[in-house]
Amino acid sequence: MPNKVTIWKLRNNNPLRKSYVNNNINPVEFDALIQITVEMSRYLYPYIREILQSKEDHEKNSDIWNNFNKRFIELTKERYNTDRMRVKKLLNQTESDETIIKLLITLSLCISNQGYQKLKNFLSDL
Amino acid sequence: MQNKLLFHQSSVSLEIIGLPDYSNNENKDQISIISQWKLTIIDKPLIEGKIEHLGPIMDAFYIYSNLLIKNEIPIYQSKLIDIKADNLHIHNIVLKSSKPNVKPLILKIGNSLLSDTINCFDQLNESPNIRIKKTGLSNNISKKVKYGLKNKIKSFNFIMPLLIAICSLILCSSTLIYLYNPIEDKENNELINPK
Repeated sequence: MPNKVTIWKLRNNNPLRKSYVNNNINPVEFDALIQITVEMSRYLYPYIREILQSKEDHEKNSDIWNNFNKRFIELTKERYNTDRMRVKKLLNQTESDETIIKLLITLSLCISNQGYQKLKNFLSDL
Repeated sequence: MQNKLLFHQSSVSLEIIGLPDYSNNENKDQISIISQWKLTIIDKPLIEGKIEHLGPIMDAFYIYSNLLIKNEIPIYQSKLIDIKADNLHIHNIVLKSSKPNVKPLILKIGNSLLSDTINCFDQLNESPNIRIKKTGLSNNISKKVKYGLKNKIKSFNFIMPLLIAICSLILCSSTLIYLYNPIEDKENNELINPK
């Protein structure tokens, strides 16, 4: 990835985004995006863990989960195409909770040195 | 004197006790012969056992986490350990003792503790100081990837002879171009048809 602009452009390959542009990501760019995700999840692991724990002890400590969930929905509405069924599902409270938890678990399991290969395998199984 | 190695991840720590295999000229800090292991999860009872129990327990956690992520029913059952999900946040672990008349140990852990435990196992797998039989489940190649690779190899085998044939054809043609002299050919034609 030569610079942040390249990453920003690659994000627009996501068909759920409002600013969707189909540029076809090549394998090198795909690998680079996985690598960036793994590095980010390694760095953010304590926060990811806190969010998961907050959902587990929802009665005692619900603030972290509520704030994260609120921000997630705000960003989804702001940046994603809300006419799409998948985005509508993400905005649905009951379905979005499950999706968010599974995404967070996936990220939390990919923080080891082999995390890159793990995440690649998870993605190829989707 | 036995070696001890500790792998730590947030609320979980894994202790491995054992000896190096001196017959294999190993470093004194290495552990190849594991005599004991202890898995400590905060606020939960201590889990410990022999080396033959560690591999199946690690495999159980890896298989279960894969099922959990892949939207399949997350249930793992074996002689030694059962793991199933109570709900989206709580996982029920039943550890069965190999000794008779010992009640199974039941643990309930959340997603955060589950990921901590698997990260501890990852650290153990990646440690250069410990040699254990690796089952490859920690980083298994998925069916789709395997299928993709097989397909690639098949198509590669199909395309390669064609490519080699085309290349050799081009090579032969280019050699003939060098040998072929158009001026000489023109003179020959003139001799055949003298008009």
